[in-house]
Amino acid sequence: MNIYKKSIWVFHLNTGGCNSCDIEILDVLTPYHDVERFGIKLVASPRHADALLLTGPVTKEILPKVIDALLAVPEPKLVIAIGSCTTGGGIWYDTYSTIGGLNELYKVLKEEYGVPEPSTVKIPGCPPKPESIIYGIALALGVVQQKVTTTTARVE
Amino acid sequence: MSRLSWIKTALEVGVVTKKYPFERVEVPDGFRGLPIFDSGKCIGCTACANVCTPDAIKVVNDFTNGFRRIEYRLGKCIFCGRCADVCPVSAITITKEFELAYTGDVINAIEIKFIKCVQCGQYYTVSRHLKHVSSKLNDEALEGVDICPDCRRRSNINSLIHASGVFR
Ligand code: SF4
Ligand code: SF4
Ligand code: SF4
Repeated sequence: MNIYKKSIWVFHLNTGGCNSCDIEILDVLTPYHDVERFGIKLVASPRHADALLLTGPVTKEILPKVIDALLAVPEPKLVIAIGSCTTGGGIWYDTYSTIGGLNELYKVLKEEYGVPEPSTVKIPGCPPKPESIIYGIALALGVVQQKVTTTTARVE
Repeated sequence: MSRLSWIKTALEVGVVTKKYPFERVEVPDGFRGLPIFDSGKCIGCTACANVCTPDAIKVVNDFTNGFRRIEYRLGKCIFCGRCADVCPVSAITITKEFELAYTGDVINAIEIKFIKCVQCGQYYTVSRHLKHVSSKLNDEALEGVDICPDCRRRSNINSLIHASGVFR
């Protein structure tokens, strides 16, 4: 996962979430959590960014704009999906007005634009704690190891 | 002048930044983090899947291979804790784990074996669930719990027909 040796600059994009996740992102940027000490900086254009902070379940209305923003980020790009809405659709997964999160977005991206999935870190939570977000970014930077794993238990 | 007073305030407050990644943080009591499923306790009743709002828990009944799969998908979970509230055997614990970032997909599944109907030999329910329910029933109600709903319907109708004496 460690594709960034230097500071990452992030572009924050709400794709139709309820704003709680966005508030937590702001939290992370305040002096209280202060991610700028790791060189993470919020920028105003996706063209200046290394990573895209996505929140929200991707509404149908915003889909073309999300794709535009995603394509504008120069390679190698990273997507940091924040909140259950983005990681799996959340409680809006089957709503008429959303496409249902990141996996569907990647499907559209692949089928209609021929763009492969960018490397992605997913941070579930509704909303995730600021510390969860910092942990997710640390995972993206290869500083920490992933804690959760897929398991299957077969019982009688 | 006013700016100087800001500096004074800032100096008084001092450093507020948390040391988080280099230091553990305590989460408050009642914090809802990762739900953990105890495969030893789960009876496969599917109550958790019923109440799960974002469908993070899915039930797949595999009648060919003979097991019920209770599938928890981390990416969809909103950590509401309803599943733990309804679980009749307290198989779900809401932990305080919040460091949940992942790549790819994370799915925790429990696969519980089905049992077969003693009459037709088809898989029909999970034995653990049946045992749990049986332990709450009296002997009269226990009659016919080891046959599948189809066979039970058939035998009920047969006995009705028999009792009515129409077809003799
Ligand atoms: S994940 Fe939850 S908190 Fe975040 S935007 Fe979606 S609904 Fe809001
Ligand atoms: S905590 Fe809530 S969203 Fe998560 S699995 Fe349980 S019921 Fe579903
Ligand atoms: S409610 Fe509890 S016992 Fe029933 S399927 Fe879910 S985890 Fe298993």
